[in-house]
Amino acid sequence: MREMEQIIILPYRKVLQIAWQGMRIRLLKTFLVTSCIALALAFLTFIMCSNGMVEQLGERASEQLQQRLAREGLLEQLLSTEQRSQTAWMLGIALMISFAGIVNAMLISVTERFREIGTMKCLGGLDSFIVKLYLAESLFQGTVGTTIGIVVGVVLAYVEGLNRFGSEAFQLLPIVTLVQILVISFVAGVVLTVLGALYPAWSAAKMEPVDAMRSEV
Amino acid sequence: MAKKKKKKKVSPVKNQVAEHVEQVPLEHEPSVADDAISEQEKIAEEEAEDLLATNIVRAKDVHKIFKMGDEEVHALKGVDFKVNRGEYVALMGPSGSGKSTLFNMIGGLDKPNAGRVFIDEVDIAALSTFELAWLRCHKIGYIFQTFNLIPVATALDNVMLPMLFADVQQSEAQDKAVELLRKVGLGERVFHKPVQMSGGQQQRVAVARALANDPAIVLADEPTGNLDSVTGRQIIELLREINKTEGVTVISATHDYKMLTVCDRIAWLTDGAIERYASRDELEIKEGSTDGE
Repeated sequence: MREMEQIIILPYRKVLQIAWQGMRIRLLKTFLVTSCIALALAFLTFIMCSNGMVEQLGERASEQLQQRLAREGLLEQLLSTEQRSQTAWMLGIALMISFAGIVNAMLISVTERFREIGTMKCLGGLDSFIVKLYLAESLFQGTVGTTIGIVVGVVLAYVEGLNRFGSEAFQLLPIVTLVQILVISFVAGVVLTVLGALYPAWSAAKMEPVDAMRSEV
Repeated sequence: MAKKKKKKKVSPVKNQVAEHVEQVPLEHEPSVADDAISEQEKIAEEEAEDLLATNIVRAKDVHKIFKMGDEEVHALKGVDFKVNRGEYVALMGPSGSGKSTLFNMIGGLDKPNAGRVFIDEVDIAALSTFELAWLRCHKIGYIFQTFNLIPVATALDNVMLPMLFADVQQSEAQDKAVELLRKVGLGERVFHKPVQMSGGQQQRVAVARALANDPAIVLADEPTGNLDSVTGRQIIELLREINKTEGVTVISATHDYKMLTVCDRIAWLTDGAIERYASRDELEIKEGSTDGE
């Protein structure tokens, strides 16, 4: 029995190798899924960062900037309740887009490979192997996509900030808030990606091989 | 205990799986009542008896019911089916006769609602998913009507996949995969992907993949279903050749009459039960009139 376990349980190194190979072969699809994740995360991070900047205008902006903004009528507009509810909406929409976009992309990319999962089970692949394979794949895509998305989102937010508030944009967002935003976005991106992939992969791995191969998605 | 010893003596072919399985029924069957014990003994006796035969696949009173909404479809109605080691058996029958269902049962791809299926004298129902995977990996090679190759991988990678599950060394697996592909006549298409190959070539890759881990049984579900008659014949003959040279048992669900000329035995399935068996000699005349080539 022990011998059997040694034979069949694949080391993580091998799973990673297969996952990597699979992604390289499916380069275009991997790229599409990853960029979908990146896009969703860029939007989320951008909204969170620029909201953060506006919220800090009253406290952290210099008097000159406040006066300039007040002169242009921007300050009042930015801090009005109407604007605030609008930004809350934007944040909600950003969250929804990230959630729907990422989960949908992962669901499709896994369910279209149900037959492959069934075949792998026929050839002696363990349920845990299949789950590990998709875990590795989605972790990679999630991490890369989220990182790219966050970088793009933050850069865009600062570009917009520079445009609106000049060089003071860099002081507006406290470092703690920025780190908080980064952590939240990163965790949200990776967790959503992994869950979106693991749920269908797990359910397919649990099926009898025939059912997995027969299911048309 | 005495029974167990006896069992061991008569089964020199026992492997790790079989050895483990002996312990399994203890968990599954309550040994409280006396009649339960005698029942167990009876079963053990029967099993010991059956072990003397060389059945590599044995289905006993297998039932399978599919639920479609409120309707229940009784696909298999108590099938008894035995296949000897090294045989080439064709499972024939009209669509809806339960052919594919029985095929999936004896391949360990699906579980029966009632009855037992033994592969190499191991009760499939008693296996954990873990052991089942081991069995599929090492004992059985599958060939499907729709080929079911991994579309993005090369022929070589496809053939290497089962060996990877068996944890064969990379270089060793590669050598063997190339050798197998050569054997099925695809030595020059090792790095081609399924989309770059014809149906017949894809099925050859599938045959090579089925043989990767030196299985005891090759199960082919309508292997010629998606092929023209000439290519289909080539695949059938390839299977026959493997059956002869490697001593692999081949079981094939089919309604391709070309299969009849090469197989040792035919099991006719009608309406969820085996209607009759026929050996090749009995079918020689019939085959001539139906093949039409």
